[in-house]
Amino acid sequence: MEVAATTLLNALTLISILALVGLGLTISFGLMNVTNLAHGEFVAIGAFSVYYIQSLGGSFWLGLMVAPLAGAAAGFILEWLILRHLYDRPVGAILATWGISLILQQSLELIFGLGAKPVVPPVDGVSDLGLITYPTYRLILISIAATTLLAVLLLLRRTGFGLDIRTVIQNREMAEAVGINTRRAFAVAFAFGAAVAGLAGALVSPLATVLPQMGVNYLANSFFVVIVGGAGSITGLLAGSSFVGGFTSILNYQISPSLAQALVLTAAIVLVRLRPNGFVPVGSRFS
Amino acid sequence: MSSSFLRAEKIGMRFGGLQVLSDIDLEIGERSLTAIIGPNGAGKSTFLNVLTGVLRPTEGVVAFRGQAIGGLPLHRIARLGIARKFQIPSIFSSLTVVENLQVARWGSARTEWPEDELLEMIGLRDRRSVQGAELAHGEKQWLEIGMAIASSPTLLLLDEPTAGMTPQETADTAALIHRLNKKLAVIAVEHDISFVRALGADTLVLHQGRFFRQGPFAEIEADEAVRDVYLGRR
Amino acid sequence: MRDPSWLIAFAIGLLLLALLPTWVDSYNLTVLRDALIFGLFAASLDFFWGRTGILCFGHSVFFGLGAYIMALVSMTPDIPLPSLLGLLAGITGAGLLAGAVGYFLFFGGVRGSYFTIVTLALSVIAQQVAVSWSSVTGGDTGLIGIPPLMFGGLDLSGDVASYFTVVALLATVLLGLWALSRGRWGRILTAISDNEMRAAALGHNAALRLTMTFVISASTAALAGALYVAMAGLVAPDLIGLLLATEVIVWVAVGGRGTLIGPVVGAVLVQRAQQEISSFNPSLWPLIIGCVFVLIVFLLPEGVLSIGTRIRALFRRGAA
Ligand SMILES: Nc1ncnc2c1ncn2[C@@H]1O[C@H](COP(=O)(O)OP(=O)(O)OP(=O)(O)O)[C@@H](O)[C@H]1O
Ligand SMILES: [Mg+2]
Repeated sequence: MEVAATTLLNALTLISILALVGLGLTISFGLMNVTNLAHGEFVAIGAFSVYYIQSLGGSFWLGLMVAPLAGAAAGFILEWLILRHLYDRPVGAILATWGISLILQQSLELIFGLGAKPVVPPVDGVSDLGLITYPTYRLILISIAATTLLAVLLLLRRTGFGLDIRTVIQNREMAEAVGINTRRAFAVAFAFGAAVAGLAGALVSPLATVLPQMGVNYLANSFFVVIVGGAGSITGLLAGSSFVGGFTSILNYQISPSLAQALVLTAAIVLVRLRPNGFVPVGSRFS
Repeated sequence: MSSSFLRAEKIGMRFGGLQVLSDIDLEIGERSLTAIIGPNGAGKSTFLNVLTGVLRPTEGVVAFRGQAIGGLPLHRIARLGIARKFQIPSIFSSLTVVENLQVARWGSARTEWPEDELLEMIGLRDRRSVQGAELAHGEKQWLEIGMAIASSPTLLLLDEPTAGMTPQETADTAALIHRLNKKLAVIAVEHDISFVRALGADTLVLHQGRFFRQGPFAEIEADEAVRDVYLGRR
Repeated sequence: MRDPSWLIAFAIGLLLLALLPTWVDSYNLTVLRDALIFGLFAASLDFFWGRTGILCFGHSVFFGLGAYIMALVSMTPDIPLPSLLGLLAGITGAGLLAGAVGYFLFFGGVRGSYFTIVTLALSVIAQQVAVSWSSVTGGDTGLIGIPPLMFGGLDLSGDVASYFTVVALLATVLLGLWALSRGRWGRILTAISDNEMRAAALGHNAALRLTMTFVISASTAALAGALYVAMAGLVAPDLIGLLLATEVIVWVAVGGRGTLIGPVVGAVLVQRAQQEISSFNPSLWPLIIGCVFVLIVFLLPEGVLSIGTRIRALFRRGAA
């Protein structure tokens, strides 16, 4: 029972992070059909923001607020300089964003030096949940992530901008025909996804090893999420994160993490075959 | 189901809320010639898509030589001997004319028409090494027809074969179809009435997703109601 | 590239490689030999990416699988013909994996970017498995003491002998891949990448054709991987990981996609540049590779070899 509860909370931690990181990917993939391989670096930038603020004497919370801004800035520049010229060249976008990813990693290393960076969590200790005790910071992380996702959901469902975005995802020509500025919608949505990834990076920074190369793992994992859940929908994002995060957390008790990941990927590949339409939206299948 | 050549039974097709085809029955024999006419948006291309398995009908079955083709992958249906000229020419633009024809031939088990005869037939002998992307629109139409023939079908479906052709070319196409029809069954969808007249085939009028009239073209042409829905307005 | 010019380039390259040992010392010869093995690897990726337009972002998985299987099989005590069995097992293993991936993805209707990110994930995981499954793979340090190439009594381990082995295999495989891609196989592939629905409506089984092409490409990559470990004598996780997977993409992109020879040239040149640059600052290399990726996309989408064509076009325009 205790093990089950702990596993559940571990799974929730992982799922929330995956969903936050995956949001940007699913937006750029579903909205613009762009595969952004530099997405992991937004996570790294978020984590480094917290480290940097703390090293200047600032608090974790200040870092947590700066991180999404740093992510958004990086995303805005990437979209403006690179991606908007490559919307009709999917392979070009893949190659260029991979190049940017390497450049960003190396720049972080040049600026901050080699080695893992320490980030101090804002709170120490554990909370007593009756049945079990669980690290307080992780509980905070889960609540912040859940709140953010809820806010994103409301933003997409309830605001004019969200409506624009959903229209563009469903039918780009139609959106243009009714006068939505798709270019601007792309740019804003992209920067927004980067901001959320930056926030995710900040949230994991006290738990993870903060390294310039830390993004790659988040990139691969959140791609799993998109592969499993399909691109361009929040429901798919949550389904994918729950599948990947839940599966990984449960398996982590039985086998090594890398084997667990291998199994998750295998399951995702098999799912694609069994449910080609359910899990992979038609729009991105042939592009 | 009896083993007639091609048979469509109670075909219905709906896209979301839009009922495009309803309750269509069709049965044709080997080496038959059929024309389908109808106003824009009547559902002609959609019907061809259903007959060739590109779309799976929401109701009804299509059977070719007694075998239901619904749900078969596209290439399997093609290999049964069904070829199709698409309404919008969709040739392979990175391949040359002759390579386009080769790829079409390699897709089928039988090769009935030698390359040179095909090139002659579609009038592209001098253009054999030209890249598909560089062809004029009319030439693409011809190549499209040539590719459909090259795959040695027993049933050939042509969606608006003469769109963008000169009157002379249109007449040539009708003659070509008559020649092909000695060996294989042809279904042609067309707007151009002079072409359908030249075909002089059994004609089906599709209107609002249903077969409105059916019979020899001379009868159809004389039919006042058909004139009203279709001929008269053009 | 048109037929005669490809064959001429091939013949000149082969002649050059054959004459090289007369004036190059044995150290540089082994360096070139290893670079050519990676050139073979690059050609294997080009055969798939160049013909189908679908990018595999984890081709190192097949290279590395060939390498690890070769290492494990040829180090098995008392096995007859260890090199030959190792090569065959490596090629078969990679081919089976590629067949499975192709079956699930291509037959599931997946193309383009989805395929790219699944293969990317594959290489991340393959590297993790290679590191953590240390009882078999030797973990981070890998395996050492892999026997050199021996076929019965035929010893191909000397510097010159191994160099010529690589050159001969490279030439044979290149010719084979070229024959495939210019003939019926390649034309059907071009048709499929042009308009898959149309190709299917003509009776072509696109998913099967793509899968088989992927299997050939992966098996060739495994051949390169197996050759490499037999020559280097060791295998480590970096032979299966994401970094190598991206480097091979650079080689192909620099050399020119779809030309088969270009990627080999690209592999040799880029590795040469890497050695020069890393010798005075090792951390500069990833930065430069990153810039190369971006520059290629924007300036030279057809690869470095296309500069020649462009200059010629410029002259022609100037003359007209
Ligand atoms: N994939 C689809 N999704 C939704 N609606 C469709 C689809 N394909 C066709 N339609 C609709 O079905 C109707 C019939 O289209 P179809 O192309 O079959 O007409 P057609 O008779 O071939 O007309 P035309 O003479 O213009 O070629 C049209 O209203 C069209 O908008
Ligand atoms: Mg039509």
